Amino acid sequence: MNTKRLPEKTPSGGQAVHADALATSRNSNAQQQPPLSVTNLRLDAAGRVLLQNLGFSAQAGERWCVIGRNAAGKSTLLRALAGLHAPSAGQVAAAKPAYLPQATSDRFELSVREYVQLHVQGLRHAQLPTQTMPIQAAGQRADVDVGAGAGAGAAKSMPSADPLAAHCQALDIAHLMDRPITQLSGGERQRVGLAAVAAQNAALWLLDEPVSFQDPAHQGVVGRWLLAQSSAPNPKAIVMTAHDMAWVQSYATHLIAIYDDMTLTLGKISDILDEKLLHDTFACQWRQVGSVWVVV
Amino acid sequence: MPNVIVKWSLFTISLVVIALALALPWVADYSVWRTLVHDLRGPRVLTAAGVGALLALSGLALQVLLRNPLADPYILGTSSGAAVGAISALLLFGGLMWLGAACGALAAGALLLILSRGAISALADDASSKLILTGAMLAAVLGAMSTLLLTLTPDERLRGAIFWLIGDLSGAASGEWAIAFALIFIAYYHYRSMTIDRLMLGSEAAHLLGEPVARVRRELIGWACLATALAVSLAGSIGFIGLVVPQALRLAGIRTTRPLAAMSAVGGAALLVAADTLARTVAWPLELPVGAIMSLIGAPVFIWFLARRLA
Repeated sequence: MNTKRLPEKTPSGGQAVHADALATSRNSNAQQQPPLSVTNLRLDAAGRVLLQNLGFSAQAGERWCVIGRNAAGKSTLLRALAGLHAPSAGQVAAAKPAYLPQATSDRFELSVREYVQLHVQGLRHAQLPTQTMPIQAAGQRADVDVGAGAGAGAAKSMPSADPLAAHCQALDIAHLMDRPITQLSGGERQRVGLAAVAAQNAALWLLDEPVSFQDPAHQGVVGRWLLAQSSAPNPKAIVMTAHDMAWVQSYATHLIAIYDDMTLTLGKISDILDEKLLHDTFACQWRQVGSVWVVV
Repeated sequence: MPNVIVKWSLFTISLVVIALALALPWVADYSVWRTLVHDLRGPRVLTAAGVGALLALSGLALQVLLRNPLADPYILGTSSGAAVGAISALLLFGGLMWLGAACGALAAGALLLILSRGAISALADDASSKLILTGAMLAAVLGAMSTLLLTLTPDERLRGAIFWLIGDLSGAASGEWAIAFALIFIAYYHYRSMTIDRLMLGSEAAHLLGEPVARVRRELIGWACLATALAVSLAGSIGFIGLVVPQALRLAGIRTTRPLAAMSAVGGAALLVAADTLARTVAWPLELPVGAIMSLIGAPVFIWFLARRLA
């Protein structure tokens, strides 16, 4: 556990926080510290308060989704949870997180394989594939060793090949392993970023818009993959941002809705998602079609 | 990858042998041969190899550090510092230009580390542009100083000063120090390879993966300045190698630190030995400036390579 503490200030204006989730999550606190627990958090950016009095803890297996209008502070919240943005008040106690930024760096040309391998944690010097694998495999389908997973040759050279190969397969990027990351589409690059998150073997995942560039089919691919990660033998606690409410309804367990007036609502999605919450969050009219909420 | 490095090393060694053997007199006199190889050509070829390796290695360091493929060992003012130091030494002591160059380059590096403390430890993506701008301003000031000093230099010493500025391997010696330092630099790359690889992902990503970003940045600046100072004090400001060798290797598909470092050193050594052999034989008995020869032939080759790769 890596605890980031900041001097606690008492926020001036007490804002209402629906802490439905806290009651349920505290039950298990007695046995084990959750991967993420946030108390009394206040975030400022560019001279304005983004949110305050945020408190929640994310347990392993939970998928929290932060919703709100553009510039409401969703990304800043994720950056604060990752330790990249200093809170103005409050505490973030978090396990070492794996963080998916909104945009991945592409200044240097790396292949997908190299990009993912560079994120592998725990095997400091053993994992780089350059010793055993073709660097330049234009047109050559070298993806079998990682892509098809249990290839014996791959297992020999890369101790981590197996689980990582399964992730690449599940995220539908196994066929891209030898392509330069600069040549990928936005959606493909996002899925490569998710594989890189999985490579880090972290208990807490912070995903800033994991599906914003995905086509409908791949929104499902990513969603089902995230479901699998929270039920796996080693379930993750996931905090993410997303805009597509139909996707959020299908794949998130909890919501944090940030309003423009710095207040927020949080809790289990089945308890708190209704027309009023959506209206207050996005300032537009919503209507339910079947079980799915759509903008009128 | 080790095979490629071995191949390139053999290629470089054969270049060194050719450089040593070229224009050996056809006389069966051992003492003449000994004088030529051991006293004249040997030290020069060794120096060329060492200086080439050092320049390529510090170019690689600065390209990673500044996240900019156009960075070269001189972009942060190291060579301008060396020039100021060398010309000052010439004016003050009438010699010891190598010592002046080394001191000037090191002072420029130290100044850069002090001026850009904030940018070095910042994680934001624009930190590297701040660092590069600070270095460029430092280079501008030092460049202006060396121009001013040149106008003060008496005519009979001007030629020596100018040769320093464009780079000159005639009379070069102590190449074994350059080679030894290059080997230590490669060992450093080897030791820090994971962090340097991850710096390519961006400083925030490297930081989140647990890498000591600010510390490795300072180390990279320090190593690059030391290597450049040594190279410049041995052979003057030879351009082109530091920019082009790591870049060409990246274009050829070598993208991770360990092979890049080894191949940069070998490639830089090979390039400078070959260029120097050309520079001193093509217009014999006239000797051409090696930096000019290298850019004259190297730049069109690089452009052709680039165009072919983009096609």
